[in-house]
Amino acid sequence: MDTSFMPRLGSPPPQASLPAFEQFFREQYPAVVRIAFGVVQDTQTAQDVAQDVFISAFQRFGDPEEADHARAWVRVAAAHTALNTIRGERRRRRRQELSAVDVPPVGPEETVLDRESRAEVRRALSRLPRRAATALVLRHNGLSYAEVAEAMNVKVGHVGTMLRRAEKALRKELQNASRL
Amino acid sequence: MPHVSSPALRRLVDEPMAVPDRARRHLAGCDRCQAARSEIAENAATAARLVGAPGQARDVDLEWILLAGRLRQPNAVRRPVIRSPWRMPRRLVNASLSTPAAVGAAVVAVGVGAAAALTSVYAPTRVVPVHVSPNDVQAIENLTGLNVSQLLGGLTPSGSRKLAFGDLSWTSSGQAQRVNSIARASALTHLAYSAPASLPAGVGSPSSIAVQPKVTATVTFSRNAGPGIAGSTLEITGGPAIVVQYGGRPGVADLTTLAIAVMERPTASSADATASQLEAFLLSRPGLPSGLAQEVRLLGNPGTALPVPVPPGVSARQLTIGGTSAVLLTEPAGVASGVIWESRDGVVHGVAGLLDPKDVVDVARQVG
Repeated sequence: MDTSFMPRLGSPPPQASLPAFEQFFREQYPAVVRIAFGVVQDTQTAQDVAQDVFISAFQRFGDPEEADHARAWVRVAAAHTALNTIRGERRRRRRQELSAVDVPPVGPEETVLDRESRAEVRRALSRLPRRAATALVLRHNGLSYAEVAEAMNVKVGHVGTMLRRAEKALRKELQNASRL
Repeated sequence: MPHVSSPALRRLVDEPMAVPDRARRHLAGCDRCQAARSEIAENAATAARLVGAPGQARDVDLEWILLAGRLRQPNAVRRPVIRSPWRMPRRLVNASLSTPAAVGAAVVAVGVGAAAALTSVYAPTRVVPVHVSPNDVQAIENLTGLNVSQLLGGLTPSGSRKLAFGDLSWTSSGQAQRVNSIARASALTHLAYSAPASLPAGVGSPSSIAVQPKVTATVTFSRNAGPGIAGSTLEITGGPAIVVQYGGRPGVADLTTLAIAVMERPTASSADATASQLEAFLLSRPGLPSGLAQEVRLLGNPGTALPVPVPPGVSARQLTIGGTSAVLLTEPAGVASGVIWESRDGVVHGVAGLLDPKDVVDVARQVG
């Protein structure tokens, strides 16, 4: 499992400053929660993911203005944390099937159709290679090719390849699911 | 020229100007590349539709409040917020509304509320957090001669007490009572109650609907109370109010997880003393803690401020509910939180529970 993005728990760096971090948070939060939503397909969970991402960012950067790659880092961390969440969900679902535990009720705003289609997207994303899924959610939530490349530490020319393969794989996963 | 590469075809979909001209010229005349591009564009559109998040408004202010609260508590930072779908909400774990912190907050609320009411001819239009300590509550008891803890135990429908600076008498328009429907509560109080359309996870159906009648209290200042107010009277009204409590999910121990209250704002009036005379009287009382005196001064015009007491360790942040200023209180461990605000029609609203601040604010915004 890729753990490079995981938070370094413990004391924040000496330069950590809430006021400085607040500005960074306000600028980056919309993009981070949007990327998380692209994966988890649920507003509440996306907000929770975003909270964890920024806590990790605070632990890591303290004053993010002094870390050039903080902006890219939180975006990738959002994708990875969200992917971890839905992969955990997949494991839990297996356990649920084995123990015949009921799934929790959905909120009244969610129709059954919405819930099922969102769950299918989550399942399909969780089956894609991590880097493919990450590229997909970053690109489709506002990052340019250059930004995706920077965030994922690849050449810009490689982003198109990653996207094309990821999109093809996503579609295949969804088609397979609909045939089941 | 050879056929256009797949990555270039993909990039043509959303950044066409980044693809060399010769590739675009080739594409215009090549059926095979056009077919490949169509398939790639279709896959990209599907992914964008499924994975792209809708552009919805985010409450960045609230999210920052929540994050800053966690960042200030190093131990809490380690606690993940991701919720397992079937896990019992962490807010319900081994907690109840009668925690010492909640009781302490209520004690202080009465104390500071009384202080504010006594300082001014009073018609609050905004809520203001006021930081108070247990010492402040004790000082208020000493100053007034009232035992706040006894007051919290419930007032008789009518009665009187001797104060340090005069006499207090009160009457109420009826008995506090439980009723069996919101409609009945509204009929008794003439207050509208708006139930939330959706409740946070772990919150069950209403378990209790209570009505508190309007209470009118009169303070008659003694002849040696001080310049301007000696022999004057101050009439204070509070309520009526509706309090609806919600239980937990079936199978969870009998537990109040959420309470929603609506109440006519408290008001005070005096035929003899002015607001500034009453404020000067309170601030001149010997034994008034300097910190509390400063908090009263910081209220600006105390006659329009409804103080929300903030006990030590409880975090208070201001936000907006229904277009008016609100105060969000969060208990240090994050187990309980509450929000209070006054709507433009002069009704004070409170939502509190064993919930995350986010959930409390979500409920408040449904009813506010």
